[in-house]
Amino acid sequence: MNWKNVLRLVSVDVKASRMIRGTRFRRFRENKAVIYAFYIGACILGLLVGWFVGNFFVGITDLTLKQLILEGATNLFITLPTIALLYGLVFTQMSQIQRIGAKVSVQPLYWFPITWQEHTLASILANMIGVPLIITTFVCSSILTVSFFLDLVPLGVFAVLALLASLFLASMTTEIFKVLQVRIYGAITKAAGRAAVWVRLIGSIISFIVFYVIYFSLYYNVSPLALIESVAGGQKMLWFIPYLWLGVTLSAFATGLWLETGLFLLASIGFAGFLFWAAVKLNVKFGLYEAPSIRVSRGVYVPKAGLLGRLGFSSLEAAILRKDLRAFTRRRELMYIFIFPIIFIIMPLLSAMRGGTDMPSTFSSFLFIYLTLLPGTLMAIILGGLMMGSEGESVWLIYASPVSAKSLVKAKYSFIILFSLLVTSVCSFAAIFLTNPSLKAALIGFVEAVFLAVPLAMISLTCGIKGADFRELPPRPRMIRPIWSLINMIVCAIVGLAILAPLIPYGIQRIFQSSLITTFFLPDYYPYIALLISGAIAVVVTYMAHKIALNSAEELLRKAEQ
Amino acid sequence: MKVMTLTRLPVVKLSGVSKRYGDVTAVDYLDLEVKRGEIFGLLGPNGSGKSTTLKMILGLVKPDSGSVNVLGINVEDDPVAVKRKIGYVPESPRIYEFLTALEFLDFTGDVYGMSPEEKKKRIEEFVRALDLEGREGDIISSYSEGMKQKVVIISALLHKPELLLLDEPLSGLDPKSARIIKDLLRELASQGVTTIMSTHILEIAQAMCDRIGIMYGGRLLALGTMKELRQKAKMPESGLEDIFLKLTGTSDVKPVVEALMK
Repeated sequence: MNWKNVLRLVSVDVKASRMIRGTRFRRFRENKAVIYAFYIGACILGLLVGWFVGNFFVGITDLTLKQLILEGATNLFITLPTIALLYGLVFTQMSQIQRIGAKVSVQPLYWFPITWQEHTLASILANMIGVPLIITTFVCSSILTVSFFLDLVPLGVFAVLALLASLFLASMTTEIFKVLQVRIYGAITKAAGRAAVWVRLIGSIISFIVFYVIYFSLYYNVSPLALIESVAGGQKMLWFIPYLWLGVTLSAFATGLWLETGLFLLASIGFAGFLFWAAVKLNVKFGLYEAPSIRVSRGVYVPKAGLLGRLGFSSLEAAILRKDLRAFTRRRELMYIFIFPIIFIIMPLLSAMRGGTDMPSTFSSFLFIYLTLLPGTLMAIILGGLMMGSEGESVWLIYASPVSAKSLVKAKYSFIILFSLLVTSVCSFAAIFLTNPSLKAALIGFVEAVFLAVPLAMISLTCGIKGADFRELPPRPRMIRPIWSLINMIVCAIVGLAILAPLIPYGIQRIFQSSLITTFFLPDYYPYIALLISGAIAVVVTYMAHKIALNSAEELLRKAEQ
Repeated sequence: MKVMTLTRLPVVKLSGVSKRYGDVTAVDYLDLEVKRGEIFGLLGPNGSGKSTTLKMILGLVKPDSGSVNVLGINVEDDPVAVKRKIGYVPESPRIYEFLTALEFLDFTGDVYGMSPEEKKKRIEEFVRALDLEGREGDIISSYSEGMKQKVVIISALLHKPELLLLDEPLSGLDPKSARIIKDLLRELASQGVTTIMSTHILEIAQAMCDRIGIMYGGRLLALGTMKELRQKAKMPESGLEDIFLKLTGTSDVKPVVEALMK
């Protein structure tokens, strides 16, 4: 193993993930001070937290309380490797998900004299860098400091080592998943034949949902103490699972069972070795695996009958719409758009299920407003921002084609609004099903959601055109420059609030209708008047944003590649 | 009479066109006229301004000074009308790789407003001619570079453009396909289609082009038929490669090779 090669590869991988992009992007720039600041900051913060907790412990005079805290700290130290494994898995998997669709993937440079062991180790280490390592740095420095005050230094040092080893185990597992995923994906593509496009879309959505459900179950609204307790208890019960051996080792060490400590430590090292061996073997076999091509049709060309033409679209506009629809169902980095509405429904559902079967009326009203207004509006804002930049480096086709600004804006806006209204409809239906509101409230909610989606889609499209980022750099195409993404969010928030403002009193009355907080009276016709004002604001904003979008599109087409 | 006047008009006319990128002058006061039915070769070393010139003709790049007229239309006045009449193959093109070749060509046909019948006929003919049969229903991302190039060339020719702007069109093509494209361009030229082609393959330029323009440092160093270029370079028996190297001042490559061999 050439360690210099490993470090060089890690450096390349990490650089690929943190390219800092300006408007002039011909040169790679990175701000090292910012990168290291996160780790140094985490370390300092950990020291401060440890010092604060340690001093608090030293100041306690009650011996029983001291003993209780010591037991709690020992328990925490013992559970840390398993908790690190859990967050390590989540964050390294997230990092992999973010790389989906990267055109320039960090492929092993197979023509260079680099062994698969070096490549695999570099990939595993690079996966750990970033959020997982920042969290681990914070935890390690606070544990070491606290252990000094609590007189638990040997256990603290052992816990820190086990924590780092757990993170390494998590990253190795992600590496194995990554290779297997490529292999399984290729095999499914081959087996699915013409259905591969749909199998891939649905498969991606399902895997995203499973991942997010696990993530939210672990971290959303869960008390840290409850997590520590369940992990500590679970470790003892499930000692035969190799991933928990590091925790079991620490547990044995803390209770002075030296033989068990030695055995589980050896077993943990053996398991880590096995995982690394498996990752290397899988990389050797599938690391350069080329997925088979997807055959969509058998080559018989049938021009499509013009449904879009009958809806008032020119052949050019219909062509752009059809192309975008295919892009969002076939490009993996765009598929995640479809996950948003599903996550929006899952999150409150998980929360509601934790709270038991009875839903308080305040929560029910809030859930109705949340589901009706938010997913469709967010879909409009996100899609609008990405729509132009999603052309990527193929944008020259738009530049070189006889596409006018008007047609471009019409085609792109129609796509955004079509999907936003579809999501609004589905989520409104889910909201009605879950919260059972009155017909009046349901209709007002839906119409207001449309009033929000229509202008915000146009504003976001304008920002998306002005800030379009056509580069397809790793880890994945960004599609909109951050500054324009921020402007988009701010403008949409202000305009969204302005549109919602007339209906806010009605909303407050609905949410708190059964509580004593409601002291003001609104006439029955109030929501209709408010809705009319909202609609008027939406129409004016849409008209103005459309004008700006046209000018921006004209400017984009005129400037083309400059 | 009107038709006669039209055919005499240059299809492309660049008058005093310049383009700078920061400190770099990509094109420096270029005057050029290309006639109807002509195959015009634009040669020059890397960075000499060929691609920028092609992009200015298409309206993708706005000149800092001068004017570009294509088929009697000022490109800046009505870029969409100009683009409708042009077929373009860029250097190392990126196309929608998530579409199949058929879907991509269908998209191109729709963008140029072709009728479904015409689209179907033309797509089938081109797919067959360029040996894409059997793979035309596959997603383009699985194609080789040569196959992608074929798809781009078909998309440029599909709508029967009056002017073809081709930037290294034959790179990556197999010999049969390259031959088909060369013969097709000659046939199209005889029907009045004008081609402006940028290439580094001097044999192709010599064999195909009616006139050749040699660019260097953004300027047009020489312009004319092969005979005229030989006269200008005072090399009556030489091929294009020697003339090119002499005119661009890069003929003395021997010391470079010797230095590299040390």
